[in-house]
Amino acid sequence: MSEKRLPTGIPGLDEVLQGGFIPGRAYLARGGPGTGKTTLGLHFLTAGAANGEKALFITLGEPEAMIRQNAERMGFDLSNVAFLDLSPTPEFFAQVETYDIFSPAEVEREPTTRKIVEQVEKLQPSRVFIDAMTQFRYLAADPFQYRKQVLSFLRFLVERGTTVLFTSEGSAEAPDADLQFLSDGVIDLEYAPEGRILAVTKFRGSDFLSGRHSMRLGERGMEVFPRLVPEVYRREFALEVISSGVPELDELLHGGLERGTITIITGPSGVGKTTLGLQFMKEAAGRGERSVVYTFEEGVETLVGRCEAINIPVHAMMERGTLEVVKVEPLRYTPDEFARLVRREVEEEGSHIVMIDSIAGYRLSLRGEDLVSHLHALCKYLSNMGVTTLLINEVEYITGEFRATEVGISYLADNIIFLRFLEMRGELHKAIGVLKKRLSDFEKTLREFQITRYGVKVGAPLTGLRGILSGTPELIE
Amino acid sequence: MADKPLILAVDHNRRNLELMSQFLGQEGYEIIAAASLEEFDQVLGKQADIKLALVDIAGFDRSVWERCERLRAENIPFIIISPRQSAAIQQAGLAHGARGVLVKPLAVKELLGLIRSLLGE
Repeated sequence: MSEKRLPTGIPGLDEVLQGGFIPGRAYLARGGPGTGKTTLGLHFLTAGAANGEKALFITLGEPEAMIRQNAERMGFDLSNVAFLDLSPTPEFFAQVETYDIFSPAEVEREPTTRKIVEQVEKLQPSRVFIDAMTQFRYLAADPFQYRKQVLSFLRFLVERGTTVLFTSEGSAEAPDADLQFLSDGVIDLEYAPEGRILAVTKFRGSDFLSGRHSMRLGERGMEVFPRLVPEVYRREFALEVISSGVPELDELLHGGLERGTITIITGPSGVGKTTLGLQFMKEAAGRGERSVVYTFEEGVETLVGRCEAINIPVHAMMERGTLEVVKVEPLRYTPDEFARLVRREVEEEGSHIVMIDSIAGYRLSLRGEDLVSHLHALCKYLSNMGVTTLLINEVEYITGEFRATEVGISYLADNIIFLRFLEMRGELHKAIGVLKKRLSDFEKTLREFQITRYGVKVGAPLTGLRGILSGTPELIE
Repeated sequence: MADKPLILAVDHNRRNLELMSQFLGQEGYEIIAAASLEEFDQVLGKQADIKLALVDIAGFDRSVWERCERLRAENIPFIIISPRQSAAIQQAGLAHGARGVLVKPLAVKELLGLIRSLLGE
């Protein structure tokens, strides 16, 4: 980006704004009560103050002391932020007699304006936050005056090179459309049932990431999780095949799984899908590559215990940093937040294999709607980054007619490996087969699949059987 | 500096009086304030050079009109300030000699214009 941008103090928001605000412009943050407008302003001011810029907070509602107290609790350092407190004092209420001879617009406007002009001229701030601009509505005789005053106030600040962020308390009774028109950018904050949302609806002179982004208001202030746009991310990677470490399995796959592909491992409960995925990770760990498992159902301890029992040294892998097992708590994250976790793992930790265990868990545990398209975006992103993605899909029926997946996401997969139970000669067996492989040919036969305490074992091709997909194959005489 | 024209402001509400003094003071007038009928009487008894009176009738009873008659007798032009749009107040005000009746809230510019014209400036 050629032009200079002003960081907002929130990395996720800077990403949405493609670098930050354009200096010397006026931006509007709007939203209902408790949507984080003031918090956004605190980030904006402290980011400037930390940079040695002069920052001014003009408050018309909340008193300074209260803002400072709340800000401190969230860990903001306001020591270098100047305040202009125009909020009403308690004495105002104690004054028994309030005037009625002139309108408030006539009486209050002048002193308020004078205080602002004085403070701005004294401080020459480069960042100003006004909370809330809608208060000025009551100081104007009519909507035209209000609009004119706000515009000239913003011009007054902007012509001094100041970047302005102001808030509006928009409601059905007092719409703030006028403020949206006269600002250079609009940030919408919303508290929706699926979580907090941030959306940029206007940004003069710049592109931005459109859509509704997840936002979190926590102890550390505001965090924004931009919606994942896979096309933005691309990384050069070798189109090589990664081995499973089990020769028969590699034969079945004609070498293994390619980097940057998406594999669905599907099968009924207890057949060994997670174990099969971890087998690839064990082999990758041997090459020194890092993998990460997001488990939505199983606890980390059970997973570790289970794997140790079948000769997959998960514990040692985790200690050496070649494996990370992350338990995702139900309803903790939105899909955007989860995508952020995965991105950190890929971009900062350099993970090469990502396993999501399972698709159903992903759909049930994350908040929000339209999860399949979020999962799609995440997988495309991983694919663009050269990460081998393993999606675990559990089918409901232990036996019976074969179905690849149940939620209509087979189209996502470059490869589909299926595991299933077979009944042969009155005994329960497991079989593994490949249904689809985009980048290479594969074996069309099934092989017997076993999980022993020495690890995953895959047998010779099962030939001479028919009715395999029905679950009760017969030997062809 | 030349003598500031003296304006009598009568208002039951002290905050209103403060504001009037402030606004009119900025415009170069001297204000003498009365917040009750007693004060009103005192001022009328002492001060001779009042150029204009502004009488906010809110909070006073009918006896305020007697004082208005006194203003008329002393040839002091005055304006009635009414708390609401009311034909009765307007009629009574004009009948007792008021030069005009204004309804609250007042617009500062309008008030100043009226004062100037009444003072013949």
